[in-house]
Amino acid sequence: MTYYELPIKEDVPSTVNGLLREWLVHGKIEAVIAMQETPSGKSAFPAMVSDPDKLNTNVFAPILPVSIGTMVSKMTRVRGSTSPIAVVLRSCELRSLVELVKLKQADLNNVFIIGVDCPGTFLINTFSSYPGKGNPTEAVLNDEAEGYLRSACLNCKDPVVESADMVIGIFGADLKKNLILDVKTDNGNSLIKGMDLKVLKDDGKRKKAVDDIRKVKDGNREIFLKEKEEIKGADKLLEFFETCVNCHNCMKACPVCYCKECLFDSSVFDLEANKYMAKAKAKGAFKAPTDSLLFHITKFNHMILSCVECGLCEQACPSNIPLMDIITGIAENAQKEFGYTPGTDPEAPLPMVVYREEEFQDVGE
Amino acid sequence: MPDFEPSVVAFLCNWCSYAGADLAGTSRLKYPPNVRSIRVMCSGRVDPVFVLDALKEGIDGILVAGCHPGDCHYQSGNYKTNRKIKLIKKLLDELGIESDRVRFEYISASEGQKFADTVTEFVFRLKELGPNPLKEECQ
Repeated sequence: MTYYELPIKEDVPSTVNGLLREWLVHGKIEAVIAMQETPSGKSAFPAMVSDPDKLNTNVFAPILPVSIGTMVSKMTRVRGSTSPIAVVLRSCELRSLVELVKLKQADLNNVFIIGVDCPGTFLINTFSSYPGKGNPTEAVLNDEAEGYLRSACLNCKDPVVESADMVIGIFGADLKKNLILDVKTDNGNSLIKGMDLKVLKDDGKRKKAVDDIRKVKDGNREIFLKEKEEIKGADKLLEFFETCVNCHNCMKACPVCYCKECLFDSSVFDLEANKYMAKAKAKGAFKAPTDSLLFHITKFNHMILSCVECGLCEQACPSNIPLMDIITGIAENAQKEFGYTPGTDPEAPLPMVVYREEEFQDVGE
Repeated sequence: MPDFEPSVVAFLCNWCSYAGADLAGTSRLKYPPNVRSIRVMCSGRVDPVFVLDALKEGIDGILVAGCHPGDCHYQSGNYKTNRKIKLIKKLLDELGIESDRVRFEYISASEGQKFADTVTEFVFRLKELGPNPLKEECQ
């Protein structure tokens, strides 16, 4: 692990863009997958770019329309890449990507993992019509955008990437002068080889900044968990999900919801009219579309142990159901029960694919 | 609620627990008639959605029974079920739905008595819990 100084040229995003461009031009990589600004400049989306002239990334754009983890899975699931690609992603995206690799839905062959420090993201529309002063990227880099962050970002589990080839750091860096390149692996070293970069003496500033931001997020999280309304019991649950329109967007946006064909998109729950009649007679009345609650609990059951708390489910909900209010606590407790932290250790097996002979003796008797 | 009779669905594995239930019958052991048995080839076949769907439809208790540890006809189905049920129960706890409505037991082919005892105990516990709150909900 060595820190290098990456001097800032024009502004922060263009400096990183320049770095990626250099790698492309020198053939160290053949393509980049990163957040690229849309032509109008009003939004940013993941893109795979191979032409250096078309590279217009902004890896610090505070927006997460889809997880790059999901995109990498889409692009490598059938077969991995045979030529080198650099993927630039945030902490939550990388954690979901690690889970997808474990689910055998992504292949990191020839992929350089470049992490970026993430100060948080806005909702898609807040980003494109940013109500604050200046541009959203600058605001978030200058720490002036706290009020616009998504709730998942305010309570972020970990905004700093640990297991990458290289991390592009803003925490602890003087953003008027330079960014910090935290090179962690030999692969990372091979990328910066031949570049004229100054080694940055580790004065403990970055570590302190990282610790501080983790402390802030942990504090936010604790307060959030304490103050949010408790959603427990049948009545509360049904009230919480009463505006659900069964669009299943939360499932589609979720980077770790792993079934390739969702049971709830199939016709399993389409019954003949008489069955619905019987149900109506048994209950007196039932809400249509049916099975919102069953869908949500089943979804939890599938993804909760791998949940990286990116909050994309909440962002995708057209009814603005605050899904993270319910997920944040449950995910943490369920993962604790199985002694599993998603997205950190690529070697740790998924809890549902392994077993030990003597465990959870309180369940079976 | 004195006259509340809970409804119970039992998913029984073909190799052990179903035979155990059979033995309870042929031995003329008495147990509450609230239980409806569904034979599955292995307790590992029980998808969590079966359990959740039954709960949602208003079934008061779900019993899943499989072979004893080490006895699974398919080597490890029962161990995996143990984990799956553990997760469902944890989730239900977190969501404030009584996790005691879901039960996993190891019942071998020779344990007719254990099957009868399990069902008796389970029905007793369900009577304590009362009806499934999701039964009457309009969902």
